[in-house]
Amino acid sequence: MSTLASEYSNEVTHDVIEHRFNPYSDNGGTILGIAGEDFAVLAGDTRHTTGYSINSRYEPKVFNIGDDLLLTANGFQADGTALIKNFKNQLIQYHFNNDNKKMSIESSARLIQHLLYGKRFFPYYVHTILAGLDSEGKGSIYSFDPVGSYEREQCRAGGAAASLIMPFLDNQVNFKNQLDPETGNKKQLKYLKLEEVVELVRDAFSSATERHIHVGDGLEILIVTKEGVRTEYYPLKRD
Amino acid sequence: MFLTRSEYDRGVSTFSPEGRLFQVEYSLEAIKLGSTAIGICTSEGVILGVEKRVTSSLLESDSIEKIMEIDKHIGCAMSGLTADARSMIDHARVTSVQHDLYYHEEIGVETLTQSVCDLALRFGEGASGEKRLMSRPFGVALLIAGYDKDKGPQLYHAEPSGTFYKYDAKAIGSGSEGAQAELQNEYHKSLTLQDAELLALKVLKQVMEEKLDSSNAQLASVTKENGFRVYDDDEIAKVIATLKEQEKDEEGVDTEE
Amino acid sequence: MVGKDCVAIACDLRLGSQSLGVSNNFEKVFQYGHVFMGLTGLASDVLTVHENFRMKTNLYKMREEREIEPESMANLVSTSLYEKRFGPWFVGPIVAGINSKSGKPFVCAFDFIGCIDYAKDFVVSGTAADQLYGMCEGLYEPNLEPEDLFETISQALLNAADRDALSGWGAVVYVITKDKVTKRYLKSRQD
Repeated sequence: MSTLASEYSNEVTHDVIEHRFNPYSDNGGTILGIAGEDFAVLAGDTRHTTGYSINSRYEPKVFNIGDDLLLTANGFQADGTALIKNFKNQLIQYHFNNDNKKMSIESSARLIQHLLYGKRFFPYYVHTILAGLDSEGKGSIYSFDPVGSYEREQCRAGGAAASLIMPFLDNQVNFKNQLDPETGNKKQLKYLKLEEVVELVRDAFSSATERHIHVGDGLEILIVTKEGVRTEYYPLKRD
Repeated sequence: MFLTRSEYDRGVSTFSPEGRLFQVEYSLEAIKLGSTAIGICTSEGVILGVEKRVTSSLLESDSIEKIMEIDKHIGCAMSGLTADARSMIDHARVTSVQHDLYYHEEIGVETLTQSVCDLALRFGEGASGEKRLMSRPFGVALLIAGYDKDKGPQLYHAEPSGTFYKYDAKAIGSGSEGAQAELQNEYHKSLTLQDAELLALKVLKQVMEEKLDSSNAQLASVTKENGFRVYDDDEIAKVIATLKEQEKDEEGVDTEE
Repeated sequence: MVGKDCVAIACDLRLGSQSLGVSNNFEKVFQYGHVFMGLTGLASDVLTVHENFRMKTNLYKMREEREIEPESMANLVSTSLYEKRFGPWFVGPIVAGINSKSGKPFVCAFDFIGCIDYAKDFVVSGTAADQLYGMCEGLYEPNLEPEDLFETISQALLNAADRDALSGWGAVVYVITKDKVTKRYLKSRQD
């Protein structure tokens, strides 16, 4: 505003102050799902952040949502929990309408696609991973982009440190770029044992914790087998 | 009779002092005027059979469609005001493909039947603000036959009142009383699909006014292997021929005795 | 990457202009005496910076009458980059080598204005840096023999490059010991 006196010096000017509300934020964290022959694991770290602040060192984000299914939605936590609550409600409705039939992982995946795509123009800001057993009892992982594009995979990392973990998984789960020393051909694919997978997950998370500030504090691994769901917890570095 | 009902049979959503909805009851009467339809459920699959009333020799009997597909694994037979069935089947088809879209699986037969019955009561406003879709109740009943992975072959009877029941064998329409009694006598759990084809036509034949042939009857089956399938004229003719032979044999046995 | 009495340095071979692949034989690791430098970033700067350091290390050699050591190279790179603080070279250098006097392996990385990142284990640079950090943290262990170090750095680079659209199209790996340098070209996915 002018400091010079003028004819108009008493005139009040209104500069429009624009306020803008940003409906999204990023709560960090990273998630990882691996399918085995007769089991699937879905793991996530338990650190919850906004910017450089740590809000919580133990905020679980992988959930047993019933019907022996594991679900996690990493990114903006409010959207993640909204999605999961939404899915749980839909699952209850499904049970009512279909004589308490257990929802298969194939059906769950398709349903999640519609929940996500339903908000195509104001999306849930999350990377979603679903884990369970398929109709043949084989371990199964489905991963989704924020608007519902999905794919069944052997393994998938999501969230803040996905770019660190994913190539490691390619190498150690799908044996990418590995040759058989005997024949010189591509190394034969094989299912990993549960103990091997848990070790791999722990390695992946301690690596990610080392190099990513939004990852750390704790690692929670949910394991689904034909016996049901089991949870394991391992501490991670808190720095 | 109508004297006692007057006043209360006008509004579709007004109870009589005795607690009856006359328009709904009348709609059940409309079905009794319709052609006979039969459904028989066996462990191998479900058979649907209907009578077609070919009222004129100039009428193309193929144009009478009383058995229709809802989805690959579900079909239905109708009796009553068949035009009303169009909107029900439309709804059923939409529900079925929508289920496949949302859940990537075939819809359960009971779930499908329930959704059709939900529509049956839309002649009044819904409790949670749903619009009134129709001026009156449906004048048609459906026999819904289907196969799903969880419960195998199933047969349901859906009425205009919005209720439905599961049946081993059921007849609806003008000849339903006689037909149902006959089904009661003949039905047993170990019936094969072929037995059911023959039984359906046999019962139809008994209650039909015209002589049964491949142009005035229609058959369909739902099986695990082939899903819903309407029989063509040749197949029906073949079943009729087998039925005739069977009857001949039985007569032969009768005369021997 | 540092091993037992050895270091390894590797790069992919892709040269691209955004999503367009331009060349599949663009090596990014250069040798100055027994010191090695990898340069990622703007290709024209990569080449110019390399020529610059070729000149500087040659002058160093004439003045000092010996080859430059890795530690000195690191400081040379740092000061040279910082000279251009307000009109920088768009490069992400890494230096690797073995000190010819002490025999100590040495690796370090820089940002584009010369801040040195000394590391005991490994350093990474380029468009696939995130992926490389994940791979290296997962695969690396200290005191690897040269052959094992070769396998480790190769797997790290290959798998990281496969998860980055802008990296790949072949790779080169140098394994450096006190008295021998082996250079190997790796077969990799060509997409």
